[in-house]
Amino acid sequence: MIQYKKLIKSFGTRTILKGIDLHIKAGEIVFILGTSGTGKSVLLKNTVGLMKPDSGEIWIDDENVTDFTEQEFLPVRKKCGMVFQHPALFDSLSIYENIAFGLRKHFSLPESEIKERVEQALSLVNLENVLAKRPGEISYGMQKRVSLARTVVLRPKVLLFDEPTTGLDPVTTNSVNSLIQNLSRKLNTTSMVVSHDMHCALKIADRIVVLDQGQIVEQGTPQELLRSQVPLVRDFLAEARDLL
Amino acid sequence: MSIKTVSANPFSALGHFLIVSFKDIRSFSQLVGATLVQLFAHLPRKKETFQQLYFVANGSLWTIAFCVTFASIVTILESSFHMKIVIQNDSMVPGFASVLILRELGSVVTALLLTSRVGAGMAAEIGSMKVTEQIDALKMLGINPVRFLVVPRLIASTIGCVILSIIANMVCILAAMIVADQFLGYSIGLFLTAMRRFVDFQDIIFASIKAFCFGIVIPLMSCYFGFNCKSGADGVGRATTQSVVFASVAIIVLDFILSYTFSYFY
Ligand SMILES: Nc1ncnc2c1ncn2[C@@H]1O[C@H](COP(=O)(O)OP(=O)(O)OP(=O)(O)O)[C@@H](O)[C@H]1O
Ligand SMILES: [Mg+2]
Repeated sequence: MIQYKKLIKSFGTRTILKGIDLHIKAGEIVFILGTSGTGKSVLLKNTVGLMKPDSGEIWIDDENVTDFTEQEFLPVRKKCGMVFQHPALFDSLSIYENIAFGLRKHFSLPESEIKERVEQALSLVNLENVLAKRPGEISYGMQKRVSLARTVVLRPKVLLFDEPTTGLDPVTTNSVNSLIQNLSRKLNTTSMVVSHDMHCALKIADRIVVLDQGQIVEQGTPQELLRSQVPLVRDFLAEARDLL
Repeated sequence: MSIKTVSANPFSALGHFLIVSFKDIRSFSQLVGATLVQLFAHLPRKKETFQQLYFVANGSLWTIAFCVTFASIVTILESSFHMKIVIQNDSMVPGFASVLILRELGSVVTALLLTSRVGAGMAAEIGSMKVTEQIDALKMLGINPVRFLVVPRLIASTIGCVILSIIANMVCILAAMIVADQFLGYSIGLFLTAMRRFVDFQDIIFASIKAFCFGIVIPLMSCYFGFNCKSGADGVGRATTQSVVFASVAIIVLDFILSYTFSYFY
């Protein structure tokens, strides 16, 4: 489904991604873990062409998208939804318009159906009574959930989540996690989830990939990871065990 | 357009500066190219364009009128003062001041004021959209950020700058007329006669052409620095400062080039 081959990305003289080789299968939920600044967000952005790699290849659905132009990326971006680390809502639009934005752009639906889909998407992230508000009028956690709804409402085949639960309360975190799980089970959505949260990763991931300083230092199923000897992985696990 | 690491070796510092400048010029040209393509490829977004026009024109009108009034008063009083010293009379002052106002003062002061208000606002807005990933979100939803953000600002700023500079010129002339009448002893009638002798219709056209060009420069600089904004609040601050500095410099240089070109037509 998504494949990275020897992906390298630098900014100036700093190499952020140092040869990533990774294959994500259709329907899989893959968690990407790693400390701050290792290049997790950069990896996701390279996938959908928001950044260009220096070398290496990215394949999505048997298509080499590495050198795609902005125009060629349009169908790829329709297929792959991304939830950003920031809520990234459009300040000048209401919550309703923010979520309806992509629907209006990509599908020609009657207004009643748009409204229905928007409300459905909002209820998936436990939000109500915010439709008429502006992003500035709701809390950060609510903005993050709206941003999730804005991406999920388009029902993309692939979902890239950049820290979807950072800054959310435990209750909402759980519901976001089960949302990711449900999308994957019911609609066979492929998910890449960037997260710091080992606890969630162990619960819902099919596979966990640990990045450190631009390289994959460990990957495997949650069970395999629990047996890992890599120091960074053990640190992450210790954190999760404390919580258990 | 910035030197981040100042090298000890002047040649390598110069080399670095040239490389950075070249890259900036290239990506600025790419933005200009993309804007032109989007400008003619689609109808502009009406609502956004009108909102921007309102922001440009209405919000700046009083500041500009206030500032150009004083600039114009200073111009006519100073001209009179110096003419009296050098050629012992200031009979040329009404005509002289009118030409100066129309050819330089009205459009340049308007453009510089717009840069500091509208240009800075646009750069900060787009810069913060960039650092909060809103620009990326637009791209993910299949929206071209140049079409969505740059084109409406370009149209609004160009129209706004032309209208404001015409208003500024009228305010300037009016202020000069009143000062000449009250303090220098030239009646309004005399002033108008002098103006008719000195000022051509083409002066008004050239002033509008200048305003048109300045109106194009301001949003392009703002959007360029906004799009290239580095993350963090200091990134937005930096982008804003740079856009104001570079737009102001560009306006002054462009003013020189245009004045020089127009001088062939007088
Ligand atoms: N546009 C950019 N220009 C220059 N450097 C960048 C850019 N984007 C990211 N970086 C750098 O790349 C590195 C990795 O950034 P990235 O955002 O991918 O980190 P991350 O793993 O997502 O961390 P976090 O968990 O804090 O979000 C950082 O050191 C950052 O400074
Ligand atoms: Mg990140």
